[in-house]
Amino acid sequence: MENLTQEKIDKGLEVFENFKDSKLLTHLNSCVHCGLCAESCIYYLTDHNEKYIPAKKVDLVASIYRRYKTFIGKIAPKLVGARELNNETVEEMIDLLFGACAMCGRCVSHCSIGVDISYLVSTGRKMLSNMGYVPESLQATVNAAIETGNNMGISDQDFVDTLTWLEDDLRFEVNDDNAKIYLNEKGKDILYTLNPREPKFFPLSISAMAKIFHVAKESWTLSTKMYDVTNYAYYSGNNEEAAIISQRLYDEIFNLNAKTCVLAECGHGSRAFRWEGPNYIQKEYPFDVTTSVEFIGKYIREGKIIVDPEKIQQKVTLHDPCNLARSGGVIDEQRYILEKSVKNFIEMSPTKADNLCCGGGGGQLAMSEYNDRRMKIAELKAEQIRKTGAEIVVTPCHNCADQLIQINAAFKLNVQIKTIAEIVADAIVMP
Amino acid sequence: MFNLIHADTSWYIWFALIGLTVCLLSCSTHLVRLVRLGKPKDFSKKVGNTQKAIMYSFTGAMNPAKKESAFMHLPTYTAGILYHLGTFLSIAVFFLMIFNIYFEGLLYWIIPAFLFITGLNGLGILIKRMIKKELLALSNPDDFISNILVTLFQFITALTILNIQLSPVYFVLTGILLLYFPVGKLKHTVYFFAARYHLGFFYGWRNAWPPKKI
Repeated sequence: MENLTQEKIDKGLEVFENFKDSKLLTHLNSCVHCGLCAESCIYYLTDHNEKYIPAKKVDLVASIYRRYKTFIGKIAPKLVGARELNNETVEEMIDLLFGACAMCGRCVSHCSIGVDISYLVSTGRKMLSNMGYVPESLQATVNAAIETGNNMGISDQDFVDTLTWLEDDLRFEVNDDNAKIYLNEKGKDILYTLNPREPKFFPLSISAMAKIFHVAKESWTLSTKMYDVTNYAYYSGNNEEAAIISQRLYDEIFNLNAKTCVLAECGHGSRAFRWEGPNYIQKEYPFDVTTSVEFIGKYIREGKIIVDPEKIQQKVTLHDPCNLARSGGVIDEQRYILEKSVKNFIEMSPTKADNLCCGGGGGQLAMSEYNDRRMKIAELKAEQIRKTGAEIVVTPCHNCADQLIQINAAFKLNVQIKTIAEIVADAIVMP
Repeated sequence: MFNLIHADTSWYIWFALIGLTVCLLSCSTHLVRLVRLGKPKDFSKKVGNTQKAIMYSFTGAMNPAKKESAFMHLPTYTAGILYHLGTFLSIAVFFLMIFNIYFEGLLYWIIPAFLFITGLNGLGILIKRMIKKELLALSNPDDFISNILVTLFQFITALTILNIQLSPVYFVLTGILLLYFPVGKLKHTVYFFAARYHLGFFYGWRNAWPPKKI
């Protein structure tokens, strides 16, 4: 790493200028270093290295704040553990804030004080982003999204080709030659988004959702211009780039005159657009935003789709994506769907808001630099799954699904990984 | 019940009062700054009830059965709770001492006994911080100083209730604690409440708190 210039230091410290509300100031001053958050962190639970304790990550950010923005930190830095923002600190920040935190927020709800640890990790990432220290692989993912419109750089032609054969497949599946995957249609009720992993690697999840929409007689469309639900700038800490991505989806919803944006099964994507997006672009959405999980649950409740649990006899368990469940409040809906759709649903332990992160969150799947560490912490999730005895693991997140597929292979779990739409499409009763 | 321990205000009481003024001014400054910065401005569409969630943040979410930091560390958690109770009691006693009010009868024995126990818990937490490598790695000098001062505060409060002659030492030590208050982590007295508020606001906005049933 080249020597830090004063200009870079100043850019890093900008995150502590002009607090927009009392949240950051609060959390920077709240940690009492009790260390009781350690056992709530998947990194610490795996390695028991003190550097992984969430409070240590908090202190990395808070100690810099104390050094430059508090009177005591300026005159007696050693007394209060105030740290210089230098090369050593930056290297430690990159390693711990990017490479050893899934921003799952599990430590937050268990913190004895209530420090929003993942918010401070996000603030630290923002500092690093301001200074130009986002890991290359993560930045490449963000760049691909900004340059091509989706994080996997899928061309429009490839996307349309994929949808064309998926449409044929859908017609065969539902035995209806009029079944369609609508594309760029204006005035539909719903603009549905996708995780680019779907057209690239898991196209059957698109046809699963198309089947559900078809049976529910939904008015929906996809867009070729902007279908990517993900926003990796949320993880890189670059709010300007995050705003560009959010604004694109916002504009496309307007362009197609859709009433509701239904977000595909993607934990961070749903968080980034539904909860963070309006703050990135500094305006309220004049349309509704919801997740496909909530929409599918609504269809079942309203009888728009009928599911038969007898169709799925295998033992099924559920992995909760952190950003959707713990930080997004969508916790019971996926359980309602599974209880209606499968014969034998079993919870993991711990579960719901306390469920363990799969290890793929926080942008970890996009950062190949930390692959070994990511797969090491995955052992906890593997053990959780193994203990359920499940044959199918369902997760309403393509990012988690990707990590679970790797866990399945690495730890020889011999399970199937499915999304909510896929399991519901399997259980659906054709009218 | 009431009795004057000092007819005229001695220098050490003045010292403690100066400490109290500094401490209160510092707390007020932090509080005013927080209030002026205000609550989060969120452009996303609220789907939950933030008021209920903030209430839950201070109540149900603090239930030790729901926090790993509590139920996985019961001895430390219990020690921490007792230690804090001892601190609150010592502060109350301090205000009584300023007004020359002391204890008689059962309270004369019960309060010092309780403060000895809570002080020992503080000492236990201090020793844990000194010997556990994970905690040591997290700690800075302020963590030790804050703990030592508050623990001594509880012990000296107990001793002074039992022996009024110790009041000069008591007021000097209390003054030092109060003067040190703005320096380090003791100011979590203010920020704890703000943190719980923000946590409730965050989870409540998204309907994650309070936990719900279908």
